[in-house]
Amino acid sequence: MVENRPALEMRGIGKAFAGNQVLSQVNLNANSGEVLALIGENGAGKSTLMKILAGVHAPDTGEILIDGEVCRFEKPADALAAGIAMIYQELSLAPHLTVAENIFLGREPRAPRLLGLIPSIDQRRLIEQAQKLLDEYGFRLNPRTRLGRLSAADRQLVEITRAIVEAKRVIVMDEPTSSLTSNEVEELFRIIRDLKARGLAIIYISHRIEELEAIADRMTILRDGVAVYNGRWGEINTDDLIRHMAGRELKEIFPPRHAEKGAVRLRVRDLSRPPVFDRISFEARAGEVVGIAGLAGAGRTEVVEAIFGAQPPTSGEIELNGQRIGSASPTSSVRAGLGLLTEDRKRTGLCLNLPLSANITLANVGVLLRHGRLQAKSELKATRRFISKLNIRPPFPAIPVGRMSGGNQQKSLLARWLHAESKVFLMDEPTRGVDVAARSEIYREINDLAESGAAIVMVSSDLPELLGMADRILIMRRGQLVAELPAHKTTQEEILKYAAVEES
Amino acid sequence: MQEWLKRFLPFISLLILCILIPACEYFVLGHDPKFITAGNLAAIARQTAVITIMAMGMTMVIVAGGIDLSVGSIVGLTAVVGSMSMVAGGGAVLPGIAIAIIIGALCGLLNGTAVTRLRIPAFIVTLGAMGIYRGIGLYVSDGNAVVGLPQSAGFLAEQNILRVIPLPLVLVLILAVVVHFALRHMRLGRYCYAIGSNIEAARYAGINVNRYQIAYYTILGALSGLAGAIETSRTVTGQPNAGETYELNVIASVVIGGGSLSGGQGTVVGTIIGSLIMGVLANGGNLLQISPFIQKIVIGAVIVLAVTFDEYQRRRLDNAEG
Repeated sequence: MVENRPALEMRGIGKAFAGNQVLSQVNLNANSGEVLALIGENGAGKSTLMKILAGVHAPDTGEILIDGEVCRFEKPADALAAGIAMIYQELSLAPHLTVAENIFLGREPRAPRLLGLIPSIDQRRLIEQAQKLLDEYGFRLNPRTRLGRLSAADRQLVEITRAIVEAKRVIVMDEPTSSLTSNEVEELFRIIRDLKARGLAIIYISHRIEELEAIADRMTILRDGVAVYNGRWGEINTDDLIRHMAGRELKEIFPPRHAEKGAVRLRVRDLSRPPVFDRISFEARAGEVVGIAGLAGAGRTEVVEAIFGAQPPTSGEIELNGQRIGSASPTSSVRAGLGLLTEDRKRTGLCLNLPLSANITLANVGVLLRHGRLQAKSELKATRRFISKLNIRPPFPAIPVGRMSGGNQQKSLLARWLHAESKVFLMDEPTRGVDVAARSEIYREINDLAESGAAIVMVSSDLPELLGMADRILIMRRGQLVAELPAHKTTQEEILKYAAVEES
Repeated sequence: MQEWLKRFLPFISLLILCILIPACEYFVLGHDPKFITAGNLAAIARQTAVITIMAMGMTMVIVAGGIDLSVGSIVGLTAVVGSMSMVAGGGAVLPGIAIAIIIGALCGLLNGTAVTRLRIPAFIVTLGAMGIYRGIGLYVSDGNAVVGLPQSAGFLAEQNILRVIPLPLVLVLILAVVVHFALRHMRLGRYCYAIGSNIEAARYAGINVNRYQIAYYTILGALSGLAGAIETSRTVTGQPNAGETYELNVIASVVIGGGSLSGGQGTVVGTIIGSLIMGVLANGGNLLQISPFIQKIVIGAVIVLAVTFDEYQRRRLDNAEG
């Protein structure tokens, strides 16, 4: 074991975006040869903190010290030069290059210059070195394979390999296991122990307490942009940990609901698009919240997108209020009363440079028309109504939604489907990247909707959220529905047992 | 402050030009400014009308995140076909104009359909279409100008309303009001900004994205057909080479006027100002006896500056998102 000293110190880090304080006075120490677990809810500021460390954002206040020396990172290359490497959640690799080329991108072994002038890459050495690394870590990958042909898990392995090559002092892993099988996770943990022994400081971001249990030495808990707890792993128990993360007890976050269950609003029968999902059948009644749980890659998002018609299924039937909806497209689904709160609000949800009002009314522009003319007054009135109903901040109808915080963006998107008077809501990760306050407002609105007779299908990776909000929880594994559990009688452990991929 | 600047920069630039050019005439060349005579202003209006009319359609296409490089070729094709039908129709001018507009609209419909159905970038589709439409125009006219048009065919370009206002200027004003209204106050325009801002989000909001995109290209095509008819009228011949390189001036007008090539931004008023800036630069250059070669350099630089400014603005906004 290498002696413990802070390889990395972040002191008094503060950052605001467009007047929104995302981080304030955050201190974080990562020691050589230790794994620091960085824990916090979605939107607590973990990603922003790590982006500051990576040189993507500049902090408003505070400083970063590497081995006791103050560093200023103005661009990602500066952080890399200081020995800090990142494994990002969203993959940042080049799909058209080979495994070897991706691992050594920007640091390829040089061959003698052609004609003494033109720099060139030593292809043979590139492949050899990559092969050596992959063998060393026990990853069974061919360095000549083009990255685009690999599965998400294999790409993750390439990403990890690359980061290890780059890392000299600190390595940050942001949810590195989200697409790995349990064997691969074991392999990753072995590598992490190896990196510890080599004296690297590791910052490990994960929601999975069990994983952290296995490797974390210390932890820093972030809540609403503030470091609320710094200490050794195991000093506090899991309940306290969750309380620190959430800042309140679970039952305070999820308001009670008094909804009468009515007629079947949505019925899905044998919906398939092999191999992504296969023969999915379920129904959702008026007043009901149906949760869908499962690991990343289980096909949950694909199912709700298929129901909505965004990515049509190859077979199966969808009934809305007893009526089959035919040629599926978002246009016909919206007309029939379906609304999809998308998983990725920046890509498939919002028009970021358009005003709040236009985003809220987009799915139901028709009601604002009189003789073909958009009635600005009606639009403003509708927008104001949803601003106050959902407590959207800042409350300006003309502000571009791109300037609002994640939570308020999500509320605007929810407002769109309220304005469209949808009867069946498909909500895909409705509180991802949303702060605690906005969360409970979204939950309250979901309850209101259920009480007014809407049916809600809620996909979530946040198990406490599913347990707190859903009436029933469906569990998907590898594209199939494998279980249905009543929410009030089940536990996180039971859900995980069904959701986890069994090893063949 | 920044936003205010972005909004009014094109207008301020135009204003500065309109003061600078007569000032230079008076102080540097030492004669009374010709720039501000009614005759010269009418000439600018006439010269820029064709580009402005097309640029209003292009504003829709660019705001929706597309582009159309074939508009200059549509001018040539419709000039030829429109004037051939005037000759064939024994001198009937109005049906010829209508045919030019319809052919233009069909070209646009084809472009829009190809862009949405083939899922190929609009730049490539319309680059191909540019060659195709020009080729058809040259083929049917055998590469020669169509002659023998009635003298009355000149009315579209030469006619004055109330004796002094050129008819093309009146057309520009009417179309400006119509297109501005459509973009600002109709579903067609609202969807245009939404599609250009984030096409996937627009689709997920239930908008029939393909249908609307096709509509924008069709409108642009029709306006290009009208431009072809005006070009025919100006020369009282059907020139198969009419409209060559117009696509560049048309796109430049939109961009200088604040339209963004990545979609979601642009206004009719901005585009008209953009077109006027280019027209005034050319006109002022002539009045100040600046070499037309230098003028080309200046206009090129203005386009690059306008796009640079636009990109700079967007990056600021992106960084603010976090």
